[in-house]
Amino acid sequence: MKPIVSVRNVSKSYHVGRPLGMRPSLREALASFVTRRNGHSSEETLWALRDVSFDAEPGEVIGIIGRNGAGKSTLLRILARITKPSSGEVDIYGRLGTLLEIGTGFHPDLTGRENIFLNGTILGMKVREIRRKFDEIVAFSEVERFLETPVKHYSSGMYLRLAFSIAAHFEPDVLLLDEVIAVGDISFQKKCFDKMQAVSREGKTIFLVSHNLTSIQSLCSRVLLVRSGQLCEGDNPREVIASYVNDQLPAASGLKKIIN
Amino acid sequence: MISLEKESKTISPSADDADSSPARVAVSLPDEPLIKIRAHRKWAAANLLDLWIHRELLYFLIWRELKARYKQTILGISWVILQPLLMTIVFTVVLGKLVGVRTGVTPYPLFLYAGLLPWIFFSNAVSSGSQSLVAGSQMITKVYFPRIIIPAAAVGVRLSDFLVASVVLIALMKYYGIHLGWPLLLAPLLVIHVTLLALALSAWLSALNVRYRDTGTALPVVLQLWMFASPIVYSTDLVPARWQWLYELNPLTGIVAGFRSALLGLPFNRSSLLSSVVVTLALLVASTFVFGRMEDEFADIV
Repeated sequence: MKPIVSVRNVSKSYHVGRPLGMRPSLREALASFVTRRNGHSSEETLWALRDVSFDAEPGEVIGIIGRNGAGKSTLLRILARITKPSSGEVDIYGRLGTLLEIGTGFHPDLTGRENIFLNGTILGMKVREIRRKFDEIVAFSEVERFLETPVKHYSSGMYLRLAFSIAAHFEPDVLLLDEVIAVGDISFQKKCFDKMQAVSREGKTIFLVSHNLTSIQSLCSRVLLVRSGQLCEGDNPREVIASYVNDQLPAASGLKKIIN
Repeated sequence: MISLEKESKTISPSADDADSSPARVAVSLPDEPLIKIRAHRKWAAANLLDLWIHRELLYFLIWRELKARYKQTILGISWVILQPLLMTIVFTVVLGKLVGVRTGVTPYPLFLYAGLLPWIFFSNAVSSGSQSLVAGSQMITKVYFPRIIIPAAAVGVRLSDFLVASVVLIALMKYYGIHLGWPLLLAPLLVIHVTLLALALSAWLSALNVRYRDTGTALPVVLQLWMFASPIVYSTDLVPARWQWLYELNPLTGIVAGFRSALLGLPFNRSSLLSSVVVTLALLVASTFVFGRMEDEFADIV
């Protein structure tokens, strides 16, 4: 099948030491300009991602795992177009939805109703679309009674449910999720899981970054392991997760037993 | 065929295949990618058309600011009118009464208000615009949309302030018995003009501010100087003839003097208007390149 997401030789490097643009003031920028002209540079290149290639097909649920700083989030941020790769190419044959954070752009002083429209448009929905799905969004989030209340008075659970509900009704062809569902209570997590499975059955592709290996195992049809900026992939999710656990905890046989 | 049609009524229009029970559904993909992600290019211009394409988002970002701004204020929207009004009173007393600035046939308070109105719009737009990307870093690092919308929204907020404060101007003109003539029709064009100028500078400075926070610190001083280098509290006649060419390079000279002429029925200075248009367009083009070049790294360095 033709891939919906095609990632080819993507690399991302950062400059450590004197990072480009991380100079806090003009004076230092001038100073670094002078040193660079003299050929002395204290910069060191850090590869957050190195030569990553893979294809994703419609309907796949792809888990991305790896230790902190391995490059998972960088990969997700590149796919989300938040940051550009240093080299390589990505083609996406569909609409893209990103949920790297719950409630991006929510304004605490605005009501639930107002924030649905605000957050929806920030995520890339059209107003017409939001109007059409408004009742569904509200029903899924279970905040009907508090629609006219400023969200700053919401409990964290209500806030979370509303924010996830908006994103879940966006109906993109490719959905990027970063550890967002880990925060809700069990019944909410169950709801999210069901929603994600329903979405993938419709042929949508989901990328999920998480440290929760149990949810990765139960949700994902495929798992990518990012290890110091490079991609390791095995035949099946179970194998990849096991090799990751082996990496991390050579001695923790107890956890390994649980996974297997 | 019949069964398919039946199915498509119950299923959401996006699911094109209802028959296949397996997990994977046949999805028809476009031949060309909708999204192409490529490495950072050095010469890329921000696309001002994005402001039109994403106008709903632009609208909601402006609306959010306006809505949230007045939630916990007593005077609410009257602040928008009070700022130019109070400044008009102060300058009328200090410059009009004490110093004795002459503005020909036009009463000085009216002259001031007509100049302060576009000035306050411009300077507020540029100062909040230049801070907008840093203030919106939360959004920039979490979701993609064309970044130019953020400074544009900051300008849009101030533009709506300007429109509200214009009501007082009309009241003042009535009070002083100013005849509203056909040149008034030029005023909207000049409002668009000053909006584009504010947009150009906001885009430029906001991008610069992501990298060098000095920008935000230096700006108030520059704006203060700029105000006195523009015909806000005095008329253009005060500038010696041999310096007029330099004075007219300041795009605000043409805009503010032109705005006043349109409202108060005074003669237009064509050369200053023309040079103002040229400078504004040049700044707009340059700023889209500066912005386009820097926007790829906003999320990495903000």
